[in-house]
Amino acid sequence: MPNTEHLRRSRFRASFADPDRLLFAVKHLRAAGHTVLDTYSPFPVHGMDEALGVRPSRLPRACLAFAALGLTLAFGFQIWSSAVDYPLRMGGKPLIALPAFIPVAFELTVLLAGLGVVASFFAVARMWPRLHVSDLHPGANDDRFILAAELAMDTQFSAVAADLDALGAVEMSLLVEDRLVKGASFWDRPAGAGALILACLPAFLLVASVPLFNRDFQKRNLAWDGGMGAPVSAQAFDASAVLRGGLVLQAPPPGTLSRSGAAPLAFAPGKTEAERAGRELINPYQPTQARFNRGKAMFERVCATCHGREGDNNGSVVVNRGAFAPTVLVSPLVRDMPDGRLFHIATYGGPMKMKGYGDLLSREDRWLVVLYIRELQKAAARPTSAPAVTPLPGGVQP
Amino acid sequence: MAHDADVLTGAALSGNPEQYGHNLPLIDGNKSYSQVTAEVFAPTERRPPALWWIAIAITFSMLSLGAWAVFQTLTRGIGTWGLNRTVGWAFDITNFVFWVGIGHAGTLISAILFLFRQRWRTSINRAAEAMTLFAVMCAGTFPIIHMGRPWLAFWATPYPNSRGPLWVNFKSPLLWDVMAISTYFIISLTFWYIGLIPDLATQRDRAKTKLKRTVLSIFSLGWNGSNRTWSRYETVYMLLAGLSTPLVVSVHTIVSMDFATSVIPGWHATIFPPYFVAGAVFSGFAMVLTLMIIARKVMNLEEYITTRHLEAMTKVVLATGMIVGLAYATEFFTAWYSGNPYERYVFLNRALGPFAWAYWMMVGCNVLSPQFFWFRKVRTTPWMIFILSIFVNIGMWFERFVIIVTSLHRDYLPSSWAMYRPTFIEVAIFIGSFGLFFTLFLIFTRVLPMIAASEVKGVLKNAEH
Ligand code: HEC
Repeated sequence: MPNTEHLRRSRFRASFADPDRLLFAVKHLRAAGHTVLDTYSPFPVHGMDEALGVRPSRLPRACLAFAALGLTLAFGFQIWSSAVDYPLRMGGKPLIALPAFIPVAFELTVLLAGLGVVASFFAVARMWPRLHVSDLHPGANDDRFILAAELAMDTQFSAVAADLDALGAVEMSLLVEDRLVKGASFWDRPAGAGALILACLPAFLLVASVPLFNRDFQKRNLAWDGGMGAPVSAQAFDASAVLRGGLVLQAPPPGTLSRSGAAPLAFAPGKTEAERAGRELINPYQPTQARFNRGKAMFERVCATCHGREGDNNGSVVVNRGAFAPTVLVSPLVRDMPDGRLFHIATYGGPMKMKGYGDLLSREDRWLVVLYIRELQKAAARPTSAPAVTPLPGGVQP
Repeated sequence: MAHDADVLTGAALSGNPEQYGHNLPLIDGNKSYSQVTAEVFAPTERRPPALWWIAIAITFSMLSLGAWAVFQTLTRGIGTWGLNRTVGWAFDITNFVFWVGIGHAGTLISAILFLFRQRWRTSINRAAEAMTLFAVMCAGTFPIIHMGRPWLAFWATPYPNSRGPLWVNFKSPLLWDVMAISTYFIISLTFWYIGLIPDLATQRDRAKTKLKRTVLSIFSLGWNGSNRTWSRYETVYMLLAGLSTPLVVSVHTIVSMDFATSVIPGWHATIFPPYFVAGAVFSGFAMVLTLMIIARKVMNLEEYITTRHLEAMTKVVLATGMIVGLAYATEFFTAWYSGNPYERYVFLNRALGPFAWAYWMMVGCNVLSPQFFWFRKVRTTPWMIFILSIFVNIGMWFERFVIIVTSLHRDYLPSSWAMYRPTFIEVAIFIGSFGLFFTLFLIFTRVLPMIAASEVKGVLKNAEH
């Protein structure tokens, strides 16, 4: 690039205390053939653009361009990601649900337009962090209205000074004398740097998009595992530091009903309640062969471990382990207890040691067990005390 | 030059205009430009008074309490909150909507009033915009801590990942919300910063210490007040105002869609977007009033933030308050007119159910209390405005609580009905958000010029004429 040299004329500066005076002075100086380079003021002086002959800013076009870019990118990306790259139907909406894309598209349009126009503003107004500010007048950001101008050809500063004085200038000074300056080459100016960056942009985009076309979804994610990968799942019988009672397994809250639909019993545990049950409840089930079999099976599975298969206290727990001997079920004591009371004991347990089996046996099974105990008692009361392993049920309807 | 309004009312012709409303000067005290500079920057240049230290001690304690509660939430889990399976959103989302709404006034003042050429905005816009930023920060914390694992919050952004080609669901209002709030924050911050640059330059020129000068030089971007820059600056400012105006409307619209696009009776309503936007402006202006009445008093800025400013804002509060009241009535009408038993039940339950106290608190604060602003005496008496603005703040918090909790706690299945009651942790986080808000605001008043000096200087001259 050839370096050109040209003559730079003397420059001067004048400051005013009032925006209207500055405006008037600018108009006057321009009419007199001087070149007003710029004015400096603590707030924008309206009408100054016209007075200086500054053409309106073209930043709105930049804003529009960025907005269009944001809109295109937003719609393009949403369509690509939800219909092409990851087509997943959600909420019965079509893959390309344009109305649902509007909000994000709008936000991105505003975001890009806003940031873009600000960035363009900083670029064209050459605003970036600077420790030293050129052309700074101490009052420019406080209460002074300043103009900087180049003298017209063949004019002396003293003549202008008198003029400015008449226009109400508070202060004026000659900044530089005529001199020759070198024209900076294109590549020395920020525009040159910008052009370089722009030229590199396609190459950069190309490099950046390589991973996009070369994705390997078999590879494990490079993400810090914030705990999602290894959840702490509590086991039913573990101890727990946070749950009530120190156990993971929690008792159902009081009043919880069974999901099988049986209504709760109208009896509380305890002996008096057992006696009341004896008075108020009657066995709703008539003996049949099927019920006999079921009652026998349940009795032998649950009660016989203690009470013995014949109800004679010969259960394995009692015989082999020497546990507390239970009540003999075929004794007259139990024989005289009404059905309802036996049912209550089967549900809530005996008066001292025996636990209730309402949680193991369904309500029907408990009544069937009661039926079966009655059969055992009948068999035990028979004089020929030679009970078969399966005593014949009395009153069985074949 | 007379104000247009003076011409319209003929006040300018009568020769002796009544000293009220539009006829009052924007800035009192016949100030010169350098006086404005000196007074606006004074708080940033002298040591803070004792009152300021007391205030920040209180707000910082509140903030610490909130930080402790957030720590509890993150280490022990969301179980520390009073949420249950039925009421899955309560305090957190209420606070989120509350704070986002507060933010709206800042943008409204800085952008919409700018476009409408309401010059009284100049002395309050800086502080109102700062308030927006701080309120949006407070708002943002709530959904993030509600995630339970906030360190994974970035999952809400569409970033390239190797989990299969897995992208966020762009059809979900919750994602719209992420986009809207973050865009809103970024654009508000940019707008605020652009407005600050000329004042930062003034502050730089006045800086006494080297450090301050360096920092301010970096942020003022070499501003020298050149007319060419001013000309572009004004263009950019206007463009940003133009962009922020639809943006601010979109933000609360999208927030309301978090609710409206669901099928929960009480939420599923097309009235939500305008209703939420009006509510946001309403609550935001109330908060600006609360803050400004304190700030002008404490910082001796009564000549900048005059009763004329306060009065203009009370009128906005009155107008939006009535829009909100109309929305409440419309909701009831729609519920009845829909003929849908669930809708009808939800609204009866709101007004008469277990949370009726919250509902009537909301109606009392939001519909009745602004009615006092019909009286000029109330509109021009700062302490009365202050009290009413506090009522509106309370009412608008309850509005969000009522919408969220009463709609959730009894929906379709009576077997899943439940009650909600906040835990101490939740209340502490809420207090903490106020702590964060006021701490940031207090720091702001000492570090940056609370009033846009360059804009105020621009309206000084007009006030003289
Ligand atoms: C773990 C051993 C054990 C099992 C299993 C058991 N019982 Fe008992 N049962 C006892 C003991 C011990 C007693 C003595 C009274 C007491 O300690 O409660 C008893 C007493 C009884 C009594 C008399 C209660 C009274 O008021 O004197 C009846 C009736 C009875 N059991 C029925 C049953 C029935 C029906 C089953 C099966 C559902 C059953 N038992 C299962 C140990 C058991």
